[in-house]
Amino acid sequence: MRFPKLPPISIPWRIKIAYLTVMLFVPAIALFAKAATASPERFWRIATSPIALSAYEVTFVTALGSAAINGLFGTLIAWVLVRYDFPFKRFIEASVDLPFALPTSVAGLTIATVYSTNGWIGSLLAPFGIRISFTRLGVGIAMLFISLPFVVRTVQPVLKEMEKDVEEAAWSLGASQMETFWRVTLPPLLPAILTGIALGFSRAVGEYGSTVIVASNTPFRDLIAPVLIFQRLEQYDYAGATVIGVVMLAISLLLLLVINLLQAWGRRYAN
Amino acid sequence: MVQQRSFFQWRKVFSSFRGIVALFLVAIAASVSLSACSAASGQRGVELTLVSFAVTKAANVEIIPKFVEKWKREHNQIVTINESYGGSGTQTRAVIDGLEADVVHLALGLDVKKIEKAGLIDAGWEKEAPNNGIVTKSVATIVTREGNPKNIQNWSDLTREGVQVITADPRTSGVARWNFLALWNAAKQAGSDPAKAEEFVTQVYRNVPILARDAREASDAFFKQEQGDALINYENEIILASQKGLTLPYTVPNVNVSIDNPIAIVDKNVNQHGNREVVEAFVKFLYSPEAQTEFAKAGFRPVNAEIAQAKEFTEKFPKVAELATAQDYGGWNTIQQKFFEDGAMFDRIQTAKQ
Amino acid sequence: MQTNLPSVATEAKSRSMNWAAIALIGTAIAYLALVLFIPAINVFFQAFRLGVAPFFKNLTASDFTSAVQLTLIIALIVVPINTVFGLCAAWAIARHQFRGKALVISILDLPFAISPVVAGLMVVLLYGNQGWFGSFLQATDIKIIFALPGMIIATAFVTLPFVAREVIPVLEEAGADQEEAARTLGANDWQVFWRVTLPNIRWGLLYGVILTNARAMGEFGAVSVVSGNIARKTQTLPLFVEDAYKQYATQSAFSAAVLLALLAVVTLVLKEILERKTSIKQVEE
Repeated sequence: MRFPKLPPISIPWRIKIAYLTVMLFVPAIALFAKAATASPERFWRIATSPIALSAYEVTFVTALGSAAINGLFGTLIAWVLVRYDFPFKRFIEASVDLPFALPTSVAGLTIATVYSTNGWIGSLLAPFGIRISFTRLGVGIAMLFISLPFVVRTVQPVLKEMEKDVEEAAWSLGASQMETFWRVTLPPLLPAILTGIALGFSRAVGEYGSTVIVASNTPFRDLIAPVLIFQRLEQYDYAGATVIGVVMLAISLLLLLVINLLQAWGRRYAN
Repeated sequence: MVQQRSFFQWRKVFSSFRGIVALFLVAIAASVSLSACSAASGQRGVELTLVSFAVTKAANVEIIPKFVEKWKREHNQIVTINESYGGSGTQTRAVIDGLEADVVHLALGLDVKKIEKAGLIDAGWEKEAPNNGIVTKSVATIVTREGNPKNIQNWSDLTREGVQVITADPRTSGVARWNFLALWNAAKQAGSDPAKAEEFVTQVYRNVPILARDAREASDAFFKQEQGDALINYENEIILASQKGLTLPYTVPNVNVSIDNPIAIVDKNVNQHGNREVVEAFVKFLYSPEAQTEFAKAGFRPVNAEIAQAKEFTEKFPKVAELATAQDYGGWNTIQQKFFEDGAMFDRIQTAKQ
Repeated sequence: MQTNLPSVATEAKSRSMNWAAIALIGTAIAYLALVLFIPAINVFFQAFRLGVAPFFKNLTASDFTSAVQLTLIIALIVVPINTVFGLCAAWAIARHQFRGKALVISILDLPFAISPVVAGLMVVLLYGNQGWFGSFLQATDIKIIFALPGMIIATAFVTLPFVAREVIPVLEEAGADQEEAARTLGANDWQVFWRVTLPNIRWGLLYGVILTNARAMGEFGAVSVVSGNIARKTQTLPLFVEDAYKQYATQSAFSAAVLLALLAVVTLVLKEILERKTSIKQVEE
């Protein structure tokens, strides 16, 4: 396999494509191939069973909601960390990455405990009839936890790089802080925010370790798709597991595409 | 200038697809040799890999050193025992996919049958070890709150309105199929026909607000997060929990199932490793009074009749009047098909809950 | 631009006093407390519940130290590999216009969206006994799955996108002007990258590396499927946590979790040091 000697610029391309092929494309093909061993009828039955459909809905909608919430608050946190100085800032800066470092099962355990009806936070909400652990809300909180670093850490570098001159120019021309924020600061940040949301969403969609512990795993209520996949595996039904995996992959790719297209469109519009 | 030259050299490697694949293989080879280095330490003695389901660790911590010492005394050889613990189903899949276990100690016969079906265990494994290959046992229990306010004494109490039951999901934890079987068995023993028995089990699962991922999560939901009025879990799990500080009153219903945990030698791997002698000795050792005592201490019902009669254990393990086994219901393949396949009974129960 | 520093500093100071800032900071901290801090404090609480001595006793068990070692080794291998890949991918995407960019980026994001269970499954489908390369690997006695290489592949898979996705926005924000200028002045590609691009993207790169490292050390799902969880051999720290927890050794499990959290903090402290060193350098220049 001799490739013609191309100019150096394509080296990053070569590395990228080669690495992606070995690490992503070939495994993905293996996944599709395995799913294809199920007859089309069986594939359809597994992929569209009522429990599966409800699981997709629970998974994607909850993940989208969590990602959006994190988009808002994550940006806020990034802003606060970059632009202001306050006591314990260093500590808070360091703690943002905690959700990554903690194994997902620990995350699930601690959230399930803290938000259960006898937990530190859960007990405060119980009198109002609000149950978090073992409901879809609990799944949402777990997703918030594990996807939080994405938005913060994606927006932060961009904020840091942003030159404050343009903002200061706007102020000196009489714009209020709010106006400056909406018209000057936010537009360049929006791509990064959307990236963070996309990343957080992806992460939340696939999450199993923490969500399975916080949820009650009741079908049609808070049973999520990754748990469904694990159930298939536990039945030694590899093909069935890959069927659901493939469906999730397809839906995720679609939603990611939408978010990323939005981002690209937004950037072009801003320019 | 020096930077430039080294970069050009690197460029030659990167500028061909083969180069990149070669680099990838080099990385793999490097890590393979890294792991080989650590494996090299086991050369002087003999090695054995035990793959077991999760909660046997407490017992194995005591049993394994005893065996190692015994083997050293008798054969003047150091045996290194590699241990792996995890969910029974997960371990089974791992062994089928290539985890080189010499011995598997799993939570239900179905899992060993799967490994047999994959060609790794020769047929007739049940006869290789005493007691039909069963080395530890347990039964199902119902745990209640302090003082048992809802007065839950037996399986039928779990069908009552307003009683919330916590149990593990048989679909994420194959072992939890024993719990389902215990309920089914209770209904059948009470004389119900299949339709009524299904109704019974449906009613119980309707009272289940949380299907925990596995036995451990079920314990946590009940003990730690104080969910539910009753918990269905295996006796050995509850005894281990209580030893670690989670204690609540529990009953061992008189109509029950014998949760039999089989042990098997994985012939394919043993033949490849050439350690059959020590592996067989290890399996035999697990049936010895010493090992069975350790299992009993860890909460498993001993299969060794002598140990089972010991006073400390007759108190610990209440006698069960009517004990059914998986065989009584046609063996695991039938059970799997009847209750847990796609669209079978458990599926129907789940969909009915909607 | 640097001459603005003093006035910006005083501006920043007066800004941090005003009420809008306080409201924002307060909200941010409240959110963090609810979602992050309180659950995290609970982890520490569980770890130290029986006292400090048992915590340290757990840390010296040989199972535990082997797990720490393995976790660090995997991180040390995976992070550089994915950093190189990430930089290449980011450069290729950010510095070129082509159709279907959104698609490429979405594909890059996929390893996140794939559930760790499925990711592990994919590795098994390729390298397991019944997988595509299964018979080849068995014949040549090369151990990939249930050994270190398999765990590295799984970890590299789930941390694949981080560096790329962190660097792309920063690279785009920075713009290609400076690089083009450098090129017209005669710099070759490596010099352009090392002296012009890298300083511009260093924050994105740094955050990407930190995220990769944190995830590589904390990854459970995918690794658990491909590791076989053999104590002292293929058990990483997250697997150790799960194992301990299953045995009802709750305190041991949470102690290990605390250590993982502290490891993450260490990398962040290193980042802070790096940050301070490079910004001092910048001011001096």
